Amino acid sequence: MSASRRLPSLLRTIAMLVVVNLVLVAVLSSISGSFFTPRNIENLSLRISELGMLAISQTIVIIAGGLDLSIGAVMALSPVIASKLYEAGVPFWLAALAGIGAGALVGLVNAVLIARFRMQPIIVTLATMTIVRSIVYGLLRGRTATAFPDPFLDLVDLSLLGVPFLLVAMLVLALLAGGMLNLTPLGRAVIAVGANAATARLAGIRVERVLFAVYVASGIIAALAGLATTIRVQAATADAGLYAPLEVVTAVLIGGTLVTGGRGSVLGALLGILTMLLLVNGSTLMNLSPFYQQVALGVILIAVIGQDKFRKRVFFKPRRPGLAGTGGGS
Amino acid sequence: MSSPSLLPRLAGKRELPMLVFFAIVVTVLSVTIDGFFSVDTFDNVSRQIAVIGLLSVGMTLVVITGGIDLSIGAVMAFAISIGGMIGIADGWPIYLVYPLVLAIGLALGLLNGLLVVHFAVHPMIITLATMSIVRGMVMVITGGLYITSIPNDYMWIGAGYTPFVVLAVVLVVFHVVLTRTRFGRNLYALGGNADAAAFSGVPVDRYRVWVYVISGGLAALAGLILVGRSGFVQPQVAFDGYELSAIAAVVIGGASIFGGNGSLVGTFLGAALLGVILAGMTMLGVDAYWQGSVQGTLIIAAISLEYLRQQQSAKAQRLSRRTP
Repeated sequence: MSASRRLPSLLRTIAMLVVVNLVLVAVLSSISGSFFTPRNIENLSLRISELGMLAISQTIVIIAGGLDLSIGAVMALSPVIASKLYEAGVPFWLAALAGIGAGALVGLVNAVLIARFRMQPIIVTLATMTIVRSIVYGLLRGRTATAFPDPFLDLVDLSLLGVPFLLVAMLVLALLAGGMLNLTPLGRAVIAVGANAATARLAGIRVERVLFAVYVASGIIAALAGLATTIRVQAATADAGLYAPLEVVTAVLIGGTLVTGGRGSVLGALLGILTMLLLVNGSTLMNLSPFYQQVALGVILIAVIGQDKFRKRVFFKPRRPGLAGTGGGS
Repeated sequence: MSSPSLLPRLAGKRELPMLVFFAIVVTVLSVTIDGFFSVDTFDNVSRQIAVIGLLSVGMTLVVITGGIDLSIGAVMAFAISIGGMIGIADGWPIYLVYPLVLAIGLALGLLNGLLVVHFAVHPMIITLATMSIVRGMVMVITGGLYITSIPNDYMWIGAGYTPFVVLAVVLVVFHVVLTRTRFGRNLYALGGNADAAAFSGVPVDRYRVWVYVISGGLAALAGLILVGRSGFVQPQVAFDGYELSAIAAVVIGGASIFGGNGSLVGTFLGAALLGVILAGMTMLGVDAYWQGSVQGTLIIAAISLEYLRQQQSAKAQRLSRRTP
C-alpha cells in the first residue's frame, strides 16, 4: 500500500528517541547538581535493568499481536516464593528457580487461555494479574519478605568493568532477544503471527506454539525482573511492579512498536524506558509529587497513540469481528 | 426451526448458567454458614453491590459496543474529590454539589469518548492512559487528603436502602433503553459489526461517545453513594481497582468482551454473585487478601464459558449449513 511510505521508519523513531534522551540528560544535569552523582546513576541503571527486562519481553509479546498485563504481579510473586522457600530451608538456588518456575507457570496459564482457547489477551492477563497479586498479598499479609542470603543481596554491588552486573545481564538479554527477532526463524514467525495470524497459519507457522513460547518467556523474564528488583530494594514487597504494566506498555509503544503487532524494536523499547525513567528521575530531583509521573505517563501514551494515528489506517486489522473498526467506524 | 421446546429456549439465554450458579452458591453458603440466609446479609450485600452495580451498568453499555473503560475507578474518585473540594469545602448546598460531581464525571466520560473515537486504537489503551492521568491528577490536586467534614444532608444517598433503590432505578431505566429503544438496539448492532452498523446509517461515532459519557456519569453517581455510605471523601479509592470489579461483574454476567452481546440482567446477577461470594468469604473468616483470586478465577471461568458457547454455535452453524 502507498501508505507504507507514510510510516515513520523504525530507524527514524529510534534516532528521535536518542536525541530526546540526550536532550533530557543535558537538561537534567544542568538544572540539578545531583543528577550525575554516582548514587543517582547507579539507581537509574538498576531501575533501567529491571524495567528493561520487562520491556524486552513485552516488545516480543506485542509484536506477536498480544499483551501481557500480568508481568507486574509476577514480578512481585517470584521473589516472595523464593524467600518463603528459603526460609523453610530450601537451598536458595532451588528456591529462586521455583520463583522463576512460578513465573513460567503464570505464562503457561496465559498461553493456554490465549493461544489454545483464543481469548482476548487483555482480559486474560487482567484476570491472572488480579489472581497473582492477590496470592502475593495473601503470602505476605502486609509484611515484606527479607529472608534472602547475603551473597544474593550482594549482587547489587557486583559490577563488570564498572557497569552494574544487572545492567549487563539486561543488555545481554536485549541482544539475545534482538538477535532472535531479526535473525532466526522463530523471530520471523513471531512477526508473522503478529502481522496476520491467519496468513501465518496458512504459511505453515504453528501459531499456537509461537504464542506459547512468547507468553511463557514473558512470565520467566518477569520473574527474573522481580529478582532483580529484590536485589535493588534488598527485600520483596507486595506492591512491587504495581505500575509496571502501564510503564512498560507505554515505553514499548514509544519505542515504535505497533500496538496491533507485526512490527517493533527491542532497542526502541529500551530507549523508551530510558526516556520515561529520565522524566521520573527529573521530577524526583525537582521534588515534584510522584503522582505527576502518572499524569506524564498517561499524556505520553496518548501522544504516542496520536502519532500512531497515521499508521492505523493501514495497519489496524481487527482480529475478531467485535473489534471491527474500533474508533474510526466507517 | 420453529417452536423449540422450553428447555433449549431457556438454555439459549446467556443468563441461565449464571442464575443456576448463583442459586448453587447461595444454597451452599446458607447451608454452611449459620445466619447467612438472613435480612442482615441481604442488607449488607445490597448496599455493597450498589457501588459496583452502578459502575457495572456503565461498563455493560461500553462492553456491548466492543469497548472497555478502565478509567471508571479513577473517574469516580476524581469526581467526588474535586467536586467535594470545590463544593463541600465552600459550603455549597446539596442541590449544587450533586450536579457538580455528576458533571465532572460526565465531562471525563466525554473526554474518554472523544479520544476513543478520534484515535482508532483499542479503547483499552486509551482508557489505560486516561486512568493513569486521572489517578495522578486526583492525587496531585488533593494531595491525598481526605474530606471528613461532610454535612449530614449529603449522606441520605448512602443511608438505608437508598443505594439499592438508586441502583434498581438505574438498572430498570437502562434495561428499557437497551431493550426497547432504537439507541439500545443500535448499540448491539454497533458492537456486533461496526462497519455494517455504519453502512446501515447508525451514527457510530456519536453512539460510541455517548456510552463513555454515560459510564463517566454513572461512575460519579456511584461515588456519591460511596461518600454517603462511608461519610468521607477518600481520593485513594482511585487505586482500589473498582474497574476490575465492574469488568468482572459484566463478564460474569455473560457479556461478550468482543461486543455485540450482554444484558443488564446478567450484569446485575454478576454483581450480586460477586457481592454474595465476598460476603460469604468474610463471614467464613477468609482474609480479604484472597478476594482478587476469587474475582480473577470467576472472570476466567466466565470467559471459558463464553468460549464454549462460541464453539457450540459455530458447530451448530456448520451443521445447519450441511442440511439445508
